[in-house]
Amino acid sequence: MTIGDIMDGVVFVDREGLIAVINPVAEDLLDVRGLLAVGKTPGQVAADDQRELAKALVVEIEAASVAGTAHRTVEIHHGERDLHYVDLRVSTVRDAEDRPAGKLVVLRDVTKEFKADQLRNQYLSIVAHELRTPLTGIKTYSTMLAKRSLGELQPNQATAIESIREQCIRLEHQIDKLVNLGHIDSSNYARDLDEIDVIAVLRGAVEPFRGVAADAGVKLELEEPTDGCKVRADRVDLGRALKAIIENAIKFTPEGGRVAVSAEVADGWVTFVVSDSGIGIDPRYQRRIFEKFFQVEDPLTRYHGGAGLGLFVAQAALQAHGSRIEVVSGLGTGARFRFSLPLFEEEVTEAPRPSRSAAGAIVSVTGDTR
Amino acid sequence: MSQTILIVEDEKLIIVSTQMVLEAAGFRVESATNGEEGIRKARELSPDLVLLDIMMPGIDGWETLTRLKRDNETAKIPVIIFTAREHSRGHQKSEEMGAADYFRKPFEPDELIELVEKHVGQGV
Repeated sequence: MTIGDIMDGVVFVDREGLIAVINPVAEDLLDVRGLLAVGKTPGQVAADDQRELAKALVVEIEAASVAGTAHRTVEIHHGERDLHYVDLRVSTVRDAEDRPAGKLVVLRDVTKEFKADQLRNQYLSIVAHELRTPLTGIKTYSTMLAKRSLGELQPNQATAIESIREQCIRLEHQIDKLVNLGHIDSSNYARDLDEIDVIAVLRGAVEPFRGVAADAGVKLELEEPTDGCKVRADRVDLGRALKAIIENAIKFTPEGGRVAVSAEVADGWVTFVVSDSGIGIDPRYQRRIFEKFFQVEDPLTRYHGGAGLGLFVAQAALQAHGSRIEVVSGLGTGARFRFSLPLFEEEVTEAPRPSRSAAGAIVSVTGDTR
Repeated sequence: MSQTILIVEDEKLIIVSTQMVLEAAGFRVESATNGEEGIRKARELSPDLVLLDIMMPGIDGWETLTRLKRDNETAKIPVIIFTAREHSRGHQKSEEMGAADYFRKPFEPDELIELVEKHVGQGV
């Protein structure tokens, strides 16, 4: 097989920044067929305004010079015809002495996949809307009843209505997970940043699992931090991430065990912690539990249920906030999940609100794996 | 006299249940089941706040919001966007378009009351 037979576009840019190799697929995608791109810089190739992909290539090669690799999906207009999406990956190639020898660029037309993804997301979003509408009614009425706003209740009626409300919140959480399955792109998270009361978000995340924990014989404890501390985050994302971690902790804690949820405030950070006395996670799997559909057990014999989405969605949502879930666990010794967000402090003077990008730039607390 | 909230929402279930929550908190509630009717009622009743759904037949919530904000008679009424669907940059978009807040369904009744109390009458 020669480079000409590869289905992806391949370009090699040497250490002088000149195109040394380009295959026909790349020539087509970059729209430079017959231009004799070899020996030119990608910048010279991009000089014509119509060459959106070549321009993106210049930017990504620059990025890869700093970071080693770069990856982006580029939207390109093929003349008057419709939009195309091209996956652009750049990696730095090193020589035998470990010096940068150039950049290898791989281009792949992902238009079909991209459009299928868009359709699926749209469909999921409509399905979610259809499911949330009746749920809104159930949740509102059951909450009003549980709060005795519509009159006194017999004890067994109160138990029934509390359970309806709890199951309703669980269902809401499942719908959120389903919709967010489509949102692998982190730009779909951290969209509505707001100042969020930490105690309220903790209570909201623990409440729907009271009944589940009780049924499983697991003690679910909430240790509230000092009053009034806030973080700046997307309310839905943060609640969803906490619920996913709590749900997971209860699931893997046998009868008689304990799940504790807390938030610690120190040095300008709020660290959310969910620890359990459960079966623990084999160190081999600790990275993989955040992968989509990952389940430690064999799906055919598994016992714990679930689709393997909760932690994946939680991690994606938190990464969009510049944070990351860390886990400390050993087989049989329980697990401790935690993540941190910067403590939000009210500005004394009138200052511009931090923008989306400012929040995205928050540095994550890195892996202290005790 | 109690303050009036206008709910603009095509789902009867949501209108009735939200109305119950707001009335229990002491508000008077009026409703409209589409954008055009919502605009008409906003002009007629001068409510203290509008709760506005996005996905509605006919003109959607965004268009309704635009028209409410363009009309001098209704421009100052605070509007809370009230939606069950994810909208890309929904919060920012509603702020830019002049809405007072953005709220997702299903909701916690207490949070709704808190939000309504925060914005009610703020526009006048």
